[in-house]
Amino acid sequence: MPVIEVRDLRKAYGDLQAVDGVSFDVSEGEVFGMLGPNGAGKTTTVEILEGLRIRDSGDVRVLGLDPATSGREFKRLVGVQLQQVALYPRLRVHEVISLFGSFYEQQADADELIALMGLQDRRNARIAELSGGQAQRLSVALAVVNRPRLVFLDEPSTGMDPQARRNLWDTIEGFRASGMTVVLTTHYMEEAERLCDRVAVMDHGRIIALDSPRALVRASFDEDAIEFVSSDGLTVDDLSGLAAVTSATSQGSAHSIFSSDIPRTMGSLLDLAAERGAPLEGMRVRHATLEDVFLKLTGRTLRD
Amino acid sequence: MNAFLPLVRTNYRDFVRDRTALFWTIAFPVLFIGIFGIVLGRGDDGASYEVGLVMEDTSPQAAALGEVLSQFEALELTRGDRESEIASLADGDRRAVIVVPSGFGASISDGAPQPLQVHFDPSQQTTQQVVIPVLLRAFEVADRALTQTQPMVTADFQTLQSERLQVIDFIMPGLIAMSVMNGGVFGAIAMVSLRERRVLRRLSATPLPAWALVGADVTFRMVVVLLQTVLLVVLAVIIGGVAVRVENLPALAGVTVLGGLAFVAIGFFLGAFAKTEQGFFPIAQVITFPMLFLSGIFFPLDSMPDWIRPVVSAMPLTYLGDAMRQLMVGGAPVHSMALNLGVLAAFLVVFFGLAVRLFKYE
Repeated sequence: MPVIEVRDLRKAYGDLQAVDGVSFDVSEGEVFGMLGPNGAGKTTTVEILEGLRIRDSGDVRVLGLDPATSGREFKRLVGVQLQQVALYPRLRVHEVISLFGSFYEQQADADELIALMGLQDRRNARIAELSGGQAQRLSVALAVVNRPRLVFLDEPSTGMDPQARRNLWDTIEGFRASGMTVVLTTHYMEEAERLCDRVAVMDHGRIIALDSPRALVRASFDEDAIEFVSSDGLTVDDLSGLAAVTSATSQGSAHSIFSSDIPRTMGSLLDLAAERGAPLEGMRVRHATLEDVFLKLTGRTLRD
Repeated sequence: MNAFLPLVRTNYRDFVRDRTALFWTIAFPVLFIGIFGIVLGRGDDGASYEVGLVMEDTSPQAAALGEVLSQFEALELTRGDRESEIASLADGDRRAVIVVPSGFGASISDGAPQPLQVHFDPSQQTTQQVVIPVLLRAFEVADRALTQTQPMVTADFQTLQSERLQVIDFIMPGLIAMSVMNGGVFGAIAMVSLRERRVLRRLSATPLPAWALVGADVTFRMVVVLLQTVLLVVLAVIIGGVAVRVENLPALAGVTVLGGLAFVAIGFFLGAFAKTEQGFFPIAQVITFPMLFLSGIFFPLDSMPDWIRPVVSAMPLTYLGDAMRQLMVGGAPVHSMALNLGVLAAFLVVFFGLAVRLFKYE
């Protein structure tokens, strides 16, 4: 039985249809990602699942309960991390963890959590003294203070430096290893690729693709990409006409060409550039990513 | 609910580590009481006023007058010549100067007494209000001594209170009521801040019931308001010399809590209209500031014009101030105690109800 079942979920704020008919399941022990730009409807969807927002229509079951009507019984079972919470600025890290622990019958040891999130040095620091990344780690620690079976993390790596982000990923993999189900929103495709068993790609309140990261990429791209910057003269149409090219996209002077045969495409690209006198800078060949999938599906990048 | 005490502890930590909150709830009222206590403090009952006596007459009658005046403890007589004493008056070293003109004794014997000359500075209020009446009384006594008559009409003044109330006794309970109001209304800022910082929203994702959150906050607020009142009463006694009715202190504590609850409810209600901590201040000021001046805290209610009475009657601080004044120093009641308590309870119920209805986690 799935841990989460969502059928045709809808939620509007005035004229804005924030969530526009979303359906998906999340299985036990899965790390489920919701990927999309700001305003795609990820946070609204997750907050409905957390019981913090009331849906307009659709069916939602989380751990067999309806979050909208199950109240405290439901909130005991799940762990939640929200965006942009500025905790009591004058409290110390361990004091906040103990406080949140006191809301639950079952609670994790505060020092264990502090160690898990790598905050040992900041145990007695006041919240106001924490860096953005440290505050973010604390908020993840609070999400698992009740040892939940299911935890929601809303853009957990926001404000973290690359090293802290990698540490967080290790921690989330640890959650999965312990059997926890994780629902994660992000707009970092690298995060989704690394962590998620399955990813729902959201845009304008709808899920436009849902599968494992690898399957999503494969479904859109059989091929690898050539990337380069050319300030002058080359259009998408020019690039699409090169040998063995399946598709091409341009963002200003940055171009990506997907090719089923890299050497042939490369040869004809170099010929074209020489013919036009167009510069080619920073050229590299890489595998397609979720970012490419999103760009192909929506015509926009994740960070627009 | 085992989250109640941790929440109270959290409030305590948040409070004692917040210098601004500490200043407004502790230092500010203490300063207020201190300043009023020093400026208006109960005058020393043995206070005396420097008065110059210029003897230009050497008759026995003049000497007898000087003798009577010197027996008045309220007068500290300095003898001197007219010029130097008038100069001292001009310098502010004398409250008044009495000149006994030459020929004073002879004029009494002639049956056409010459008046004494009394010089004083009318711009000095205490001279007009205190020294002149003392002098008049002294002259009356001297008059009787010289004419050897017994007074026919005497009076023994009985005050309603065991001790006559002075301005300080009127002001102090009002100041304490004021600090209960500020502690209650401005205490709601903690909740506004939690909402602004989205902590309330985060808490709403936990099984913590709303009553525990609000209950812990209100409980802590009441402890602060009570401690504040205790501190201020002690200071009123020490600095202001206010004669506090000790037997009424438990009732005073009860009224403090009732008033504190009513003002916390008003604060929560106002907090529903403020998105941010910064936005809460002007709203709370607009409500509390007029009450300071129209609730009989600094000025007695009967000194106010009739047309403003309905406004005064609508202000909860009017009732809290009156109740505290009655309990603390036995002040003359403006309203019955039952009415005071009833109105405060009504404010509590109505505004708490409104606050609950308007309450938002976000």
